[in-house]
Amino acid sequence: MTGAGDPDELDELQPPSTEIRPVTEQEANAGEASSPTADAESASVKADDDVSMLSVYRHDVHKSRGRSHEDAAAEFAGVPVNEPVPLGADADAALLSRPRGEPAQSVKNHISPFRLSLVTGETATSAGRVDGGIRGALAELVQIEDPVEMHAAWLESAVASIFNESVYYPYTSLKFHTLLTAALVDNYRAGYGFDELYLVVDQSEDAEADPRVVPHRTVLVLPSFALRITGEPGERSAARLGAAPAMSWADVWTRLPEHPFDGDDERMWRVVDAQLRRIRSWSTALQFIEESYGWWQALQRSSRLGGGEQ
Amino acid sequence: MTVIQQVLLELDEDYLGRPYYVSGNALYQAIARRVDASTRRSVAVSNGVFVPGEHGEYLDEHSQSGGAPYFGAGLRPVESYEDLFLFRSAAQRWLSSSRPRDAHNTHDLRVHGGRVAFAPTVRFGLPSESRNSKRTMTWYVHFYVHDDTGSNDAVPLDEDVLDGLRLGGARNYGLGETSLKDTQTVDLDALDYSTLEDAEESFELELVSPYVTASEYPGADDQSVPWWWTPRPGGLRRREERLVEDGEVYELQTIDHGQVVGYGGPDPVGTAKSGVLRVGTHARFGFGEFRLRSVSTDRVPERASIAAARESAGGER
Repeated sequence: MTGAGDPDELDELQPPSTEIRPVTEQEANAGEASSPTADAESASVKADDDVSMLSVYRHDVHKSRGRSHEDAAAEFAGVPVNEPVPLGADADAALLSRPRGEPAQSVKNHISPFRLSLVTGETATSAGRVDGGIRGALAELVQIEDPVEMHAAWLESAVASIFNESVYYPYTSLKFHTLLTAALVDNYRAGYGFDELYLVVDQSEDAEADPRVVPHRTVLVLPSFALRITGEPGERSAARLGAAPAMSWADVWTRLPEHPFDGDDERMWRVVDAQLRRIRSWSTALQFIEESYGWWQALQRSSRLGGGEQ
Repeated sequence: MTVIQQVLLELDEDYLGRPYYVSGNALYQAIARRVDASTRRSVAVSNGVFVPGEHGEYLDEHSQSGGAPYFGAGLRPVESYEDLFLFRSAAQRWLSSSRPRDAHNTHDLRVHGGRVAFAPTVRFGLPSESRNSKRTMTWYVHFYVHDDTGSNDAVPLDEDVLDGLRLGGARNYGLGETSLKDTQTVDLDALDYSTLEDAEESFELELVSPYVTASEYPGADDQSVPWWWTPRPGGLRRREERLVEDGEVYELQTIDHGQVVGYGGPDPVGTAKSGVLRVGTHARFGFGEFRLRSVSTDRVPERASIAAARESAGGER
C-alpha cells in the first residue's frame, strides 16, 4: 500500500506522490481496452439487465486511489464498487479516451491518480479544496441510491474531475469516463450498437431555461447547453460517432452541424472550439469544456472586480 | 507545372489572433509589405495551421513511413496528394501516442489586456513542484503560397521575405513574432493521385478552411454551396469570419472548416488540385481549401483498425 492509497491523506490535498505505482494496472487496462468477444457478451445479456446503473457509476471509484481493478477493494464508503460493467461498455469508453493496447506512461514525471489540467497545466487538485474533503465528497457521490439522481450528481460533481481515468494518461478524466461508460451502457441496453450512436447538442431554449438533461445519456451539462450520446438524435443537431470507439473526439466535434455557442462569451468559445478541434481523447475534451467554462467565469469575475476598483 | 511553396514558421512570441489558424489574409498582409508590386498582385496565401514541434510518425496514407523525433519541427517530403495534408488537420494525427498528444496539441493560454492569446510554447509535467523536469515544446505555423495568375512567377518567395514575419494583434508590443524554420516547393502536377483515380470509388470532401458564402468586401460575389458538394443530413454549420484590410473590417459568412460533404463531381483529380489552390470568394487569402478522400478510408485511422479488428473477431458493437 502506498501513501496516497490512504484516503485520509487524500483530504490533505498533497501533491501527487510519484510513489503511486499500481503494478497491476497495466494488465488490467490491457484487458479493458481489448475488444470484447461477442459470444461472451450475448450469453451475459440477460444477467446484465439486472445490473443496476448504480454499479456503473461506482465501477471506477477505486481509481481515485490509484488502484487497478484487480487490486481494488470491493467496497468504498459502505457500497460495493469495482463491479464489472455490462456489455463491454467500460472497454469501449476506454477506447474513446486512451490509446489502444499496452498502456505506456505518457507523462514521465506524473504517475498519480490526480488529473492534469489542459487549461492550467497543473494538477486538478490545485484548483482548490473540495467541500467536505475529497473522501467525504466521493463517499457522498457513490452512496446515492437512485440511478437518476446518481447520474445528475456525476454531471455536477467536482470531486470526480480531480482524478484521471488511468495513471498512464493523466489528462483523461475519471468523471467523464464514467459518464461516457454509463451513456454507452444505457444505449447498448436500448439495442443500439456503437456504430448507431450520435453526439447530440441540446441547447437551452432561452437564457432562463436549463438545457435538457436525459438520464444516463447526457455526458456534459453547462448553463447554456448539454452534450448527449444517443441512438435517437431526432431533430437535434447530431454527428455520428463512427464505426468503432476510438480517440475520435476532434473528428466528431468538427462534423456537428451546429456548435453550442454562448453569445456573451464569443471570443472564449472560439478559443475553446479551436482547441476542441485539436483534442482526440473524449474524456479529456469534455473535461476541457467544463474546466474552460469555469476558468473563463473566474477570469471575468476577477477582471470586473479589478475594473471596479480603479 | 503548378508550383506551391510550403513554409514552416517558428512561433517566437505569444500570438494574439484567430484561434483556429493564422488567417491567409494576415500572412498575405505581412508578406505584401516585403515584396514588389507584381508579386503582391499575384501571390495567394493559405491559412497557417498550428503544428506542435513534437515527436510523431507518418500515417499509413502517406508516401513515406516511419517517424522522427521533433517530427512537427520540419517539412517532410511530398510525393503523393495525401502528403500535402500531413500538417493541415488541426487534430495532427501523426503525433506519437506514447506522449500526451492532447497536451502537445493544445495551446497554453495567456491573457493580454483581457484578451486570450496563445503562448508560443507548451509546458507540461508538474510546473510548480518540479520545475527542472518540465519540458518545453515549440509551436510552428504551416502554410503555403502560390501564384494565382496562372504562371509560377511569384514563387518561390525569398527566405528573407519569409523570415521574421509578425502575425496577429498587438504586433507593436512584440507579439506574434515568427522566424522561418523551413521551406520547400512542390509541383502539384508531379504528385501521385492514385487514390483518387479509381472510377468505381466514391469520394468525400473535407473542408480544410472555411468556404465563403457572403462577403461585405466591395465587389465580392456571394456564393451558394457548390453543386458538386452533397451535404450530409443535418445540413452545414456556418460561422462568421472577417477580413481585415487597411484597418477596415469586412464581415464574412462562411461554411465552417472541418466539415465533410459528399463529392458529386466528375473529375476527382482535377477537383483535388483546385482544392489545394482553393475555390470561391477570397480564395487568395486562405478561404476555400479542401481535401478529397475515398469514402472507404476513415478520417481517424485508429477507428478503422479497431472496427476491422472487431469485424474479424465476429463481434459487432
